Amino acid sequence: MAQLDVENLTLVFGGLAALSGVSIAVEKGELVSIIGPNGAGKTSLLNCISGFYHPTEGVIRFEGHDLTRASPHTATRYGIARAFQNIELFSGLTVLENLLLARHTHLRYGLFAAAVFYGRALSEEVEARAYVEEIIDFMELEPYRKRLVGSLPYGVRKRVEVARALTLGPKLLLLDEPMAGMTLEEKEDMVRFILDIRAERGTTIVLIEHDLGVVMDISDRVYVLDFGQVIAEGTPEVVAKNPRVLEAYVGGTA
Amino acid sequence: MRNPWMQTGNYRTSYRQDTTIFATYSEQLSLIVLLLSLLFLPMFLSRPQMFVVDLILVYALAVVGLNITTGYAGLISIGHAAFVGVGAYTAALLAPALPFWLTVPLGGLAAAIAGGIVGIPSLRIKHLYLAIATLAFQLIFEWGVGHSTLLQQGGAIAMPRVVFAGYKVGYKNHYYFWYYVTLVVLIVLAFAFRNLLRTKYGRALVAVRDNDRAADAMGMHPGLTKIFAFALGAFYAGVAGGLYAYLSRAVVIEDYMLNVSIELLAMSIVGGLGSMVGSFLGPAFLVLLDLNMEDFANWLKALGMSLPGVDIASAMRPLTFGLVIVLFLVFEPRGLANWWRLVRNYFKNWPFKY
Ligand SMILES: Nc1ncnc2c1ncn2[C@@H]1O[C@H](COP(=O)(O)OP(=O)(O)OP(=O)(O)O)[C@@H](O)[C@H]1O
Ligand SMILES: [Mg+2]
Repeated sequence: MAQLDVENLTLVFGGLAALSGVSIAVEKGELVSIIGPNGAGKTSLLNCISGFYHPTEGVIRFEGHDLTRASPHTATRYGIARAFQNIELFSGLTVLENLLLARHTHLRYGLFAAAVFYGRALSEEVEARAYVEEIIDFMELEPYRKRLVGSLPYGVRKRVEVARALTLGPKLLLLDEPMAGMTLEEKEDMVRFILDIRAERGTTIVLIEHDLGVVMDISDRVYVLDFGQVIAEGTPEVVAKNPRVLEAYVGGTA
Repeated sequence: MRNPWMQTGNYRTSYRQDTTIFATYSEQLSLIVLLLSLLFLPMFLSRPQMFVVDLILVYALAVVGLNITTGYAGLISIGHAAFVGVGAYTAALLAPALPFWLTVPLGGLAAAIAGGIVGIPSLRIKHLYLAIATLAFQLIFEWGVGHSTLLQQGGAIAMPRVVFAGYKVGYKNHYYFWYYVTLVVLIVLAFAFRNLLRTKYGRALVAVRDNDRAADAMGMHPGLTKIFAFALGAFYAGVAGGLYAYLSRAVVIEDYMLNVSIELLAMSIVGGLGSMVGSFLGPAFLVLLDLNMEDFANWLKALGMSLPGVDIASAMRPLTFGLVIVLFLVFEPRGLANWWRLVRNYFKNWPFKY
């Protein structure tokens, strides 16, 4: 069985189906992309997997657990992390604090230890900080460590968003347009980060991206969504030749 | 070579060091100086002055609690005085049977439970609706006390004088004794919260204030975190209530009504929401303002500027409180704590200008 198994998912908003009968399966360690025109339902699908929306019909299974009705914190605790399309950082906090927050579930000390800040609280906090510093180093965020997130440029905030999801220590990383609105150089950096995450940590990645060049370059498999339905699926080469995809892309958006 | 006394920034070299609160020597020194002067303060004050200082400390403790709920976790509470009241009444009921060092923490515990219950709606509702829930609790509390014969229907319940280390605290020492008790409790609880702030518990409070969707995605339960914020803030309020009961030697409902909740909010706003220093500056400022208002009213009266049948002091009080809140919200929303920060930074970087 695949690590992530989404079966026959339907999500209806007041009569309008954002998703209808979507099934996807992602194997451990795979990099799978989801593409499709605006409003196709890509973000909605991630929202279901990460617990922000609950589907009207269908089943979501992750490593054998049924997460169909799970809340976001439950999904997170099972090892699913999410970088949001519309940045959802704690803008009043520093980069460091944002990332430390992502270690929340890994910290086990009790309230009393925390109040005296001694023993387990101290050692676990130092450990969490070391972990966070590793990610900061990895995502090349050193210059921004103590800057308030709200004061950072867009491209950097996007990078913090991904860094924070990574700090959760996930088994499955959901990236919703992590390169949207970035300069070419920032995009190249992000592609490098994504490939490194997979290579160094073996994290399964589901990527939503509009830049077809990038998608075809780095994905193992691609799902194409249009009007809430999967219209094509397969390796980049196969998908690129699919007439329905060409129609949805060329006919639909151009 | 670096002179640690003249450090203008931080040059910490380990993650462990980076978690310390008072890092530079001058910060540590000013803390010690502050603690020593608080220790010897009573030697220079008269009995009535002592009472004022006691009052400020008790309010400061309650405001630290309000700051936890409203300042850090961003949950507006219009019922904080009721939590103080729960602590006070609990202490009053238990005082005949138990020593104060048990009744006061138990008062805090009772208030924390009440806070947790009041926080339950935060599982479903947010923002203003939640504030209304705290207001409802305030009104239920007042109504409940007013209808309870056990609580004298809100009339005065006398607090016994306490015995400490075999020594009965009498009239002469009353304010001095409670000064030290409150000071110790305040320091311990303030440090405890300062510690919490650099752990997952404190970060979670700020996280649900800033963005509770993202907090959810970080694996924390936003609703439970808010309940925790209410319970923790109420615990501080309850302890303050217990201390206040002993300090004022009686528990009456007037001390825990809606207007007191508003005053506590005013104190935290004037001090600076979400600031530890502000939790002390706010109460000090407003308690002293309140005192001077009486003098000012008497002075107006002496000038013959009083209206028949109107008590100027009590008429001016809500007026001035309202005015002060509005002025701070408009001109210094970060409160007195911001002035404190500016002064401190000036001295920290002195003699450099920036
Ligand atoms: N909370 C919601 N309430 C009502 N409709 C919604 C909601 N969320 C999404 N939709 C609708 O569902 C459809 C799919 O939206 P979704 O955000 O999933 O698209 P997308 O593929 O991510 O598009 P984009 O590429 O623009 O990000 C849209 O028609 C959108 O209006
Ligand atoms: Mg989207």
